[in-house]
Amino acid sequence: MSYVLSLLVLIPLLGSGVTFALSSLRGGGRTTSNVAAAFAFATLLVAGYAFFWVYWHTPTLGTYALTEDHPWISLPGFGVDITLGLDGLSAPLVLVSSIVGMLSVLSSRTLIDKREPAYYSLLLLALASVMGAFTSLNLIVFYLFWELTLIPMFFLIGVWGGDRRKYAALKFIIFTFAGSAVMLLGFLALYFGVSTSTFDIPSLAGRIPTGLQYLPLLAVFVGCAVELPVFPFHGWQPDAYEQAPAPVNALLSGILPKFAGYAVIRIALGLFPQAAYQYAWAFIIVAIFSMFYGAVVALLQSDLKRMFAYTSISHMGFVLFGAFATVLSGNPLGIEGAILLMFTHALATGSLFTLSGFVEKQSGTRKIPLLGGMGQRVPLTAALLAVASSAAMGIPPFASFLAELMVISGGISAYTSTAITVLVPVITGGYFLWMLKRVIIDPAPPATDTGKATEDVSRADATVVALYLVPLVLLTVFSFLILSPAAPVAQWTANLIHGGLHA
Amino acid sequence: MAEYILFAVAALSVAALGVPFLQYRGRRGSLPGYLLIVALLAALASVILNAATGSTSSAPFGALLASDSLGNLFAILTLFVTLFVAAASLTLIPSGRSSNTPFYYSLLSFAALGMLLISYSVDLLMLFVAWELMSIPTYALAGFQKSKEESNEAAVKYAVLGALSSAIILYAISLTYGLTGTTNIGAAAASLGSQLTDPVAGLAVLLFVVGFGFKMSIVPFHMWAPDAYEGAPTPIAALFAAGTKKAGFVAAIRVVLAISTVYSLTPQGGLFTIPNVLAVLALATMTLGNLAALTQKSMTRLLAYSSIAQAGYILVGFVAYSYGQGNPAFAQQAELGMTGALFHIINHSVMKGAAFLGAGLVILKLGSGSVETFNGLGRRMPVTAFAMAISFLALAGVPPLSGFWSKLLLFTSVLSTPFAWLAVVGVLNSALSMGYYGWVIKRMYLDEPDGETTRVEEPASFAVVLGVLVALIIAFGLFPGPVISFARDAVPALAGH
Repeated sequence: MSYVLSLLVLIPLLGSGVTFALSSLRGGGRTTSNVAAAFAFATLLVAGYAFFWVYWHTPTLGTYALTEDHPWISLPGFGVDITLGLDGLSAPLVLVSSIVGMLSVLSSRTLIDKREPAYYSLLLLALASVMGAFTSLNLIVFYLFWELTLIPMFFLIGVWGGDRRKYAALKFIIFTFAGSAVMLLGFLALYFGVSTSTFDIPSLAGRIPTGLQYLPLLAVFVGCAVELPVFPFHGWQPDAYEQAPAPVNALLSGILPKFAGYAVIRIALGLFPQAAYQYAWAFIIVAIFSMFYGAVVALLQSDLKRMFAYTSISHMGFVLFGAFATVLSGNPLGIEGAILLMFTHALATGSLFTLSGFVEKQSGTRKIPLLGGMGQRVPLTAALLAVASSAAMGIPPFASFLAELMVISGGISAYTSTAITVLVPVITGGYFLWMLKRVIIDPAPPATDTGKATEDVSRADATVVALYLVPLVLLTVFSFLILSPAAPVAQWTANLIHGGLHA
Repeated sequence: MAEYILFAVAALSVAALGVPFLQYRGRRGSLPGYLLIVALLAALASVILNAATGSTSSAPFGALLASDSLGNLFAILTLFVTLFVAAASLTLIPSGRSSNTPFYYSLLSFAALGMLLISYSVDLLMLFVAWELMSIPTYALAGFQKSKEESNEAAVKYAVLGALSSAIILYAISLTYGLTGTTNIGAAAASLGSQLTDPVAGLAVLLFVVGFGFKMSIVPFHMWAPDAYEGAPTPIAALFAAGTKKAGFVAAIRVVLAISTVYSLTPQGGLFTIPNVLAVLALATMTLGNLAALTQKSMTRLLAYSSIAQAGYILVGFVAYSYGQGNPAFAQQAELGMTGALFHIINHSVMKGAAFLGAGLVILKLGSGSVETFNGLGRRMPVTAFAMAISFLALAGVPPLSGFWSKLLLFTSVLSTPFAWLAVVGVLNSALSMGYYGWVIKRMYLDEPDGETTRVEEPASFAVVLGVLVALIIAFGLFPGPVISFARDAVPALAGH
């Protein structure tokens, strides 16, 4: 038994404790951020090791690498083990979470200037529970880490957020808590339904009778729908994304929706394939609606962060679309694309939100009509914003392009008519370019002060944003790093319904 | 051995009868409190020894008390609760020249003695005497702040409804005796089981539910609770929520659930069965408790309604247990449900104890118990705010804190019975409860203090009490195994088969 995955949780957890202990230090903001960065970097190294381990020893269909099993609660009639494991689905998510976590800590250095010890402590606690959620193979432990992520997020939004932060934080916690509570019900229903009562995901796979799959599938889907979020469960999200401090946004929008994407593929499809197959058409409709809804509403936003938030809804619709397209058609392309898209979306959206923080710090506003002339005033910020937008739009040098292409192709093999979804990237490109024109090329409106701000983003901060974007470019060439471990997972999931069809 | 229980009884009796003499010697400071703490520690130690030696002698004092593991669990729990209430009272109850602290601690000791005896009672008459021994001192304790109008109102309201519930219990006991000719609970239950044709048997069981239901503050017998919790001194409110309420539960487990082999309350069978009645009560208790809590402006009332809601969750376990009594195929669920109920009873005492004591300190230091007072408490009283935040998260069922596991067991236990809808209701209620728990946490940590922003001193001794409770909440959450086993051992054997 290896302890790599335990380390992934324990390192940031220890970091959380250490940074909190530093709160007795007077004016120790810089020290704290250095310590936090060190712990985040250590997490990144371990995550990188784990990822490449999975890449080189890709587990065969339906199995996991680096597994750990720690007995926790065992009673007659009720047992929970802490089972950890990685496969081609979770390994990319663990890696991208640690990258985003690291960059989020680094970008906090300029963007957060009060109560740093508590801030970094909560940030690392969130990172630890994210790692736990992606590595756990037990439904209850997964739920536990999922919930545990929400608590630090609540405080991070509520204490360090914008003007309406308290409202946004409370709305966030109530929505997500309710969603995950419903999901928990689905998990519990499984427990007595199967002959061997267990919460262990690998042992549940393939053992659940079709009749027992419908309600748990619905329950898990509701939990995921709130977290992704998809229309109509998205009420909390634009507020939370708008109010959260920019570095927290990177986690909130980059990583938290991936819980849901992960749960859809691992649990909804992995455990309830027959029910998912029967109702895939309904989920695909929800997904496509969500893609268009997010894109169209994003077009109407005047606040940078709200615009990015709706973009996120649209992109997460792609993930859902790809996943269910594979179930329907048996073509693994959909899930492979979804996994790659989750990876690229985390980085692209992280860079955009971080930039929005820098823009607000420079110009004092995030309102698109009030900004303007950034190309003249703050050329470096403008350039970064243009590049990050291209990444989010899915323009070819960035791997997002590849991911969206795969998802749409996968979708077409399920229903040809879903080819209409190619319009989504078109709309996305449209509103991003329109936004760029307004904030970079157009002159600032004369009545405001924003036009006078000329202090450009510092070189260190620019590097942080660039670090989000570099992996995206590299991935276009080295996409096999993600896709080759993802292939067996996608194939295994497809085989649950279409056994041997495409094998 | 029964001697341990005897020793505990003796220690509490000495404290109860001896402490008031201090009043005449002019020792009205905190000495009586310390004496009670010593007596409670001695009693707690002897009860723990009793549990550790694992003696299950069934008949100390004739056949009135049984030294079984269910009794041990509740005796340890209620004594522990009285201990932290007494320790917190040292800070929260003013002990000046004109105070009556000796009588306060003496009454507290009587109540502890009553709860101890209820835990071990296996005879209806013994149970009733112990019940009154617990109840009557608490009427006086509720009105202990004589000069406060609300305190008087709380005491009167609580005393009247308490007396009513005692009368109902007594009536149920007499009906049971009339039908069975015995007051021994086990014998009476077995005998009632063979009298299915007599509608009076069903009436007796229902009256027990109502009578104990007052103390458990289940809807619709909860009306006294919010007023009494708000008017009583806060440590006494903590005693109500964490202590006497639990005595109601152990009485219900001993009497109602033992009789639930009767199962159907009417001769014809049909819908009017014990699990059905309990399920409806659970539904009403959870839902009304949480809905009412959402609208409260006073912290103690909010906690009172939250406490009502938690009783509803516990009833879910009772439903599973009583259903298993009548349906042998569901024996495993019955055991799981009762394990969950006992575990949640333990957890609720700890969580609600921390919340009430924290609220008590805020009321003492900041002079008001309205929810606005809690704005910015994270700055002003960091230890108290942290303890309350942890206990609120645990009450809402956020993992990995203790409340999560007990709720999980409770809801899991009914999922494969016909009462699966209760699990759905329970989970939705948990989500609903986040509305007010999260709202208070938001006030404490996200809002700015209204008036002064200076740090308020939190007494070290009080911080220790809160610290112990918080440590238990976290420890039971991270390592629930031992406590769950402890609760499991205390589950009474199913009587039906």
